[in-house]
Amino acid sequence: MNMFSPHPFKPAAQEDGWLPSSCALCYGTCSILAHRVDGTVIKIEGNPDSAVGKGRLCGKGVSGIMTHYDPNRVRYPMRRTNPKKGLYEDPGWKRISWTEALDEIAEVLRKVRADDPRKLVVQRTTTVTASRVPLHAFASAFGTPNFSVSGGGQHCGNGAHLISGIMHASWSIVPDFEYCNYAIFFGASKGHSAGHASCSNMGKAADARVRGMKMVVVDPLCNFAAAKATEWVPLRVGTDAALALGMCNVMVNELGVYDGPYLQAKTNAPYLIGPDKLYVRHPQSKMPLVWDRRSGSARPYNDVPAADMALEGEFTVDRVPCRPAFHCLREHLRKFSPDWTENTSGVPAATVRRLASEFATEARIGSTIVVDGVTLPYRPVAAIAFRGAQGHKNSVYNFYAVDLLNHLVGAADVVGGCLGFNPTSHGHPETGKVRYIPTAGPDGLMVVGSWMGYHYPYPPPEPRLPKNLGLQDLLVIGMTSPFLDSADREEMWEKFDVPYRPEVMINFGANLVMSIANKDAVAESLSKYKFIVSFDLFLTETSNFVDIILPDCSYLQSLDARSNFPFIFSLPGGLGEWCWPIRQPVLPPDGEQRQFAEVLLELADRVGFRADLNAAYNAWLNLEPPYRLTGDTRYSYEEISDRELKNNFGAERGLEWFKQNGLIKWKKKPEEVYWRPFVDVRVPIYWEFLKPIGDKIAAIAEPRGFKIPLEYYDPLPDFLPCRSHCCNKKGFDFYGFYYRDVVHTNSFTMENPWLDEAARLDPFSYTIAINRTEAAKRGFTDGQGVWVESESGRKVKGRLKLTECIHPEGLGFAAMCGHWTDGQPVAKGKGVFYNDLLELDFEHMSPVNINLDLCVKVRVTPAEESP
Amino acid sequence: MNIRWDAVVDSTAVESPRAPPVLPQPIVDRNSAGISVRVRLFGALAALSCQQSVELMLPVGALVADVIAILGERLGEIFSAQVVDASGVKRRYCRLFVAGYPVENLQTPLYPTSDLTEIDIILLIALEGG
Repeated sequence: MNMFSPHPFKPAAQEDGWLPSSCALCYGTCSILAHRVDGTVIKIEGNPDSAVGKGRLCGKGVSGIMTHYDPNRVRYPMRRTNPKKGLYEDPGWKRISWTEALDEIAEVLRKVRADDPRKLVVQRTTTVTASRVPLHAFASAFGTPNFSVSGGGQHCGNGAHLISGIMHASWSIVPDFEYCNYAIFFGASKGHSAGHASCSNMGKAADARVRGMKMVVVDPLCNFAAAKATEWVPLRVGTDAALALGMCNVMVNELGVYDGPYLQAKTNAPYLIGPDKLYVRHPQSKMPLVWDRRSGSARPYNDVPAADMALEGEFTVDRVPCRPAFHCLREHLRKFSPDWTENTSGVPAATVRRLASEFATEARIGSTIVVDGVTLPYRPVAAIAFRGAQGHKNSVYNFYAVDLLNHLVGAADVVGGCLGFNPTSHGHPETGKVRYIPTAGPDGLMVVGSWMGYHYPYPPPEPRLPKNLGLQDLLVIGMTSPFLDSADREEMWEKFDVPYRPEVMINFGANLVMSIANKDAVAESLSKYKFIVSFDLFLTETSNFVDIILPDCSYLQSLDARSNFPFIFSLPGGLGEWCWPIRQPVLPPDGEQRQFAEVLLELADRVGFRADLNAAYNAWLNLEPPYRLTGDTRYSYEEISDRELKNNFGAERGLEWFKQNGLIKWKKKPEEVYWRPFVDVRVPIYWEFLKPIGDKIAAIAEPRGFKIPLEYYDPLPDFLPCRSHCCNKKGFDFYGFYYRDVVHTNSFTMENPWLDEAARLDPFSYTIAINRTEAAKRGFTDGQGVWVESESGRKVKGRLKLTECIHPEGLGFAAMCGHWTDGQPVAKGKGVFYNDLLELDFEHMSPVNINLDLCVKVRVTPAEESP
Repeated sequence: MNIRWDAVVDSTAVESPRAPPVLPQPIVDRNSAGISVRVRLFGALAALSCQQSVELMLPVGALVADVIAILGERLGEIFSAQVVDASGVKRRYCRLFVAGYPVENLQTPLYPTSDLTEIDIILLIALEGG
């Protein structure tokens, strides 16, 4: 294989070589090799030299070439001529020069920055992970706190990432595929579809299945993970907490199985809880107390050897009755009997007992194993969850309950157990850089060592009267917020005296109209902006609200120095290698396309805040002397990237070195991967901190007429129903839900002809999955056109696919299809736009983490004519 | 159940991670009567306080916290509320650099040097998703 030397874009005669770079067809960001022949990329493969994918590449990744060369790409800046904005308004695009475009944008930005910089909203797609730092830096330098990732976070992140952060110091969790013997997936597809470290996990999961790992998939749909599993357990949509809590109850109260030493040493299970549901604290130090069995007294947790801490018992401390948190949990779990679980989730009581028994037995509590010469705890079981489980009103408890399974048996970040993605890094062996380790925070509970932003999951900030448009400074557990676009946003802003309104948006690649919830709510929100500028590859449904479109470079034309950092995001977990790849341009821009990061630098120059932007880059990239950016020097994005790489890996490994080599890697140590025993931190099996947060939010909100449902802020997880579970409307007898399609990314890839072809060959990608028996009862046939109507009257049209592989009450929609824009002729008219059924207001989100509830009770009726 | 977690692992058997980078010790000017500091405010802080740069003279022995306190007095609550929480701890999304090196603990001492000590402060975006 001929790896190119520095690659001028003027192709040499008979040029033929492979260039290392990074994919961007989804946020997995797998490492790729682009085969370029005479200036044309003719093939894309996985890079076998990289730990990110190890040479594997999914169907989307190999098809990226078709997205890049799509003749419908935007090639020139354009300005709308029709001032009227609406879902179906033709903007009347007119080609303009970059000078015209940037002059106008800079003028708008200059005015809004002088007026109130918070009126700028910066918005990005999560598909391109590399967009994070340039856009965050720009927003920070500009002075606005209002940043959004469209549907990302509101659909998949506010629950999964929050709880993975609190319990595993990582963005996501995954079984330790190398050693796990029994994995149970709740609404998750790690290793079987797209997502974080997707291609790496596919290989690891396949190897684990060959090795004999038993895999149980709990999901309303038997799709990509379940199809390869040992067992599929269909459950009623949105009832994951019910099943997980039922299993916890069987393990603790019927089988009496739990890892006492782990709970004593690594969790808050021994902390004493008073009648007010809060810790009983030392009167002077305010440290949480535990019951010291040796002395027979209550003492601060950090004064008592873990082995002496009582996990159960009724005690009295200063006349206050109290019990250890584990005792409270054990009692709390009793109400989730197998029969109750069956009634709630639809999973038979016998199955609940069997799954719990298998999980508890396979955990091998008390066992150890030697890995690379280091003796470590061995717990070869893992329970993981992701978007499916947490995409509900009961988001927090659904995920928390699933993860409790791991913590009850000590299977957290140990060999064979449930792993965070790389929560601990000792840094590069030569420079020590990119080093981070979780630390003990308030009450000894774990604070992440690395995070995607600065909203650490624990400790949560104090709620305050909100100043951010997303209201996350009030609803502090939430990360990304629906309130920028929600139907009740103005009402909320008024309630809380938010002193400004959004006026200008910079959007990078997000199709907000399709990616959040129903299009009408989002359209109404977008129509209020005075000015929107959008970096795009294609015109989208959102473009109809945009004033100026800027033609972005594709990932094959772009540079990014940190395509897989932070390591907690999309570097595979488990043993192996640390790996820092870059993305480099392998093709020149076409037409007048420009990379967005360079455009943002120029805009900062034009508006006059380059010094702020340099300072923001210094902070985001942790640049230290001599690599810090100084003053208002006009660095290019290449120069900034070069400085970051040298800052982390030494002066000899700058951008040119990385362009040649593609990546740097070094071996992971067992104590990094299986870090939990080595780091003196605890995690909460009893979320005591949640109650005061709820009380404080209520104290601010309720005098303003905003009711906080405090049952969601209880320290112990419960099953709390979705709105859909409470719908008794006649004829509304299916729970609609969407799932990630293996050949598509969000609403982005339907325009790709190869992926479209694959989706058309797949019987599910563009159809609505319905249980065959239930369909027959209603006289529905395979391929029949139907209307699907929500309780509130929203309707989408689609074609049914009858299958045995879906829960009888479920109605499954693949991906986010149903485009109607002329800017994407391949995508237009394909599949179903599920999000259009979703309401977008406080009633339809988690009152804790403001994650959207993604299930809808629906009625299915025949369409008069085929769609 | 019979093997204790805290007994399984011999922490001394594994290599200690490389120590975290520390603030390099500056060359101290022992004849100096005070510490000259230039604080540069960026992004929202500059916009809120209408100042991009503030020069201060501090007594020997001053801490970073003293700089924040003085700025709070000069620039008002609007500055302080953004930089520190109610208990006086620096907010996580507020990044502060002394001579180009990050400082998390406001109790970090400042030293008299022959030059101005540059302190950069910027608020970053707190939130992320995906």
